[in-house]
Amino acid sequence: MTLHDLHSKIRAEFPEELSGGRIINGNELYLEADPNHIVKLSLYLYEQLDCNLVSLFAADERVLSGNYIIYYAFAERKSGFLIILKTAADPNQGAFLSISKSIHAAARYEQEIHDLFGLVPVGHPGLKRLVFHGNWPENHFPLRKDFPLSHRPETAGFGSEFTRIKGEGVFEIPVGPVHAGIIEPGHFRFSVAGEPIFNLEAQLYYVHKGIEKLCEGKSVEKCFYISERISGDETFTNSLAYCQAIEKIAGIRVPERAEYARVLFAELERLTSHLGDLAGICLDVAYGFAAFQFRMMRGWAYRMADELCGMRFLRSVNQPGGVRKDFVSGKEKSLLAQLEALKKELEDTVDIIMHNSMFHDRVENTGILETRIAVDLNAVGPAARASGIPHDVRKQFPYAAYRSLEFRVPVYHDGDVNSRMKVKIKEAFESISLMRQAIESMPGGNHFEPLGPLDPHSHAFGVTEAPRGENVHWVMTDEAGNIFRYKIRTPSFCNWPALCHAVTGNIVPDFPLINKSFNLSYAGNDL
Amino acid sequence: MFKMLRKIIQHQRVTQDYPKHPVDSSLFIGKPSIDSAKCTRCGECVRRCPSAAISADPESGMPSVDSRACVFCALCEEVCPAGAVLMTAEFELAELGELVEKKIHKIFGRSLQIREVDAGSCNGCDYEINALNNPFNDIERFGIHFVASPRHADMLLVTGCASRNMKQALLKTYEATPEPRLVVAVGACACSGGIFKDTYAVEKGIDSVVPVHVYVPGCPPRPQAILYGILKAIDKL
Repeated sequence: MTLHDLHSKIRAEFPEELSGGRIINGNELYLEADPNHIVKLSLYLYEQLDCNLVSLFAADERVLSGNYIIYYAFAERKSGFLIILKTAADPNQGAFLSISKSIHAAARYEQEIHDLFGLVPVGHPGLKRLVFHGNWPENHFPLRKDFPLSHRPETAGFGSEFTRIKGEGVFEIPVGPVHAGIIEPGHFRFSVAGEPIFNLEAQLYYVHKGIEKLCEGKSVEKCFYISERISGDETFTNSLAYCQAIEKIAGIRVPERAEYARVLFAELERLTSHLGDLAGICLDVAYGFAAFQFRMMRGWAYRMADELCGMRFLRSVNQPGGVRKDFVSGKEKSLLAQLEALKKELEDTVDIIMHNSMFHDRVENTGILETRIAVDLNAVGPAARASGIPHDVRKQFPYAAYRSLEFRVPVYHDGDVNSRMKVKIKEAFESISLMRQAIESMPGGNHFEPLGPLDPHSHAFGVTEAPRGENVHWVMTDEAGNIFRYKIRTPSFCNWPALCHAVTGNIVPDFPLINKSFNLSYAGNDL
Repeated sequence: MFKMLRKIIQHQRVTQDYPKHPVDSSLFIGKPSIDSAKCTRCGECVRRCPSAAISADPESGMPSVDSRACVFCALCEEVCPAGAVLMTAEFELAELGELVEKKIHKIFGRSLQIREVDAGSCNGCDYEINALNNPFNDIERFGIHFVASPRHADMLLVTGCASRNMKQALLKTYEATPEPRLVVAVGACACSGGIFKDTYAVEKGIDSVVPVHVYVPGCPPRPQAILYGILKAIDKL
């Protein structure tokens, strides 16, 4: 079925409730929906058409239409379509209907809109502050256009409320935001009876930096450098999602050589990330030898990055229109040799850890994420693939040169630390193979296509498979061709609630291990 | 067990003897330098710099780079029409703040305990600090350890621009660290607020919350650059 057919089908179903269907950028269908029927419409997409809610965000379009606009982005993953419902929220009423009761994955998005725009999701099952802690005063909403970027309101107070579990022998363990290890800040509130965890509530947004607001009004170039700094170890994939969106708005085709180079860098980033996660899992079960093996290999991956571009975190490599230099030319032989050595070392190390029964004992059946919960919360990436959900953006929304390259998407079904680890091990091998294919079949030609000025008030999605999973960015331009709204939804945003479910019933000492097997980005969630 | 031993023998020591032996920095992208003879004072680099790290002298118009704010993106080199900007390989950029107490290294003697605090970074700096524990850098060879609590620490290694939501936690961590204590700001955000300095949710660097002894520029700084900063703080270079 083409997107046109799908459009006709949806319109025939809801002739009254929908209007103004428009297909842009090849696979994005925008439909204007009657705000009073949004629950019914979104449930139809979710249940009847088997679409997943992949982003939900607002934009302050009062200067354009007099209203706030709320965008509900659904992905029809089998065919690679995005269906976006647009509804208007009247600024005088300052409210919109919540869809969270029927689509649970919507809950956090709606809380975010509530905090940043001051629009109330009517009927939300658990509305509390998400982005701001007690220190932020009421009635200040930074993503409204009339809120000045640098306005820092007075501190309102401290303290946050947590879900209370009461009963004999039930205790709370507060952890963070400053942790014992070298990791990002977040507060975890465990409710326990003895060792097993009843409930985990994660309070995040300690590293909220106001990135989306910062981008508004910035030039495409300045915003690009901010996109690289959304989440340190996902620099390349975030900048790629941003570039994709900009390139769609500009209507340009990226040269083939750049498409292959992008695969090379994206896979190098994934490989580096997965090696780090494997090291972390081993370290958290006190398996020092294996941890240092993986850390050594991660060091080798960084060496390749240095050789390619002089930047360990692959910054200043991308740019809208392609890549900044011909980074690969002349380095093919050396890179291929390094990949071969890394592959051999990885095989040897995996062989050793897979034959260690004490190690298995710790990772098997630990931190199980059930498939139905993963589906319900729209868990993405390796965490979802370890729970039997076979989604991968590289297959379903192919970008860069992935369409022309061969790779498999590993899927496991147990949903435990072991499964997540095995997914990452297999993906690391696939990444090595993809990098090799990209180097060997990289065509000649330009590495960059210059960008003209962007059309005003245009928008597009950029979707990539980050090391942690599906990464969805949306960019809209203003009348001068600068950034009007930049919505960033990283995989970590989807997977944090999934992690909180996966730890339930496990013992507290296993939490670091489970946490590491997800390895979520706090910065990517908090923005 | 046999396979494990074979690996240990195969990769003997991979630790680099930095700073005793300098690392090969030929591939690194380090501090930008501006050649005043070539510079035409056109102001293009000042306008384009994404973190507003380049400013022009009000009288001569000569641009200069504030390395604490620089995110090392190399855009200035790319856009300079006169070819006056060059990204050097210089990466050991740690600078002493105004506070440093000369005798402090004597108090700490031959060991140093560090507590790391992420006060609003993108996690790049934190990964690089983590890399100090990898087999290439192995910071413990200097008698330097990362500890779990600020109460055990002599030094706070702080990343991020001091986000609004982390301000109180950073202050409390600082207060929990026994004196004498050192604070090292790691990365452009911690040194100056970096690319995020103008937003409602952050401060312009951690020295607006706690006193800082050493600033380590970079976005993120390499592990060796951080190590250089730590050693500089305890006067062990």
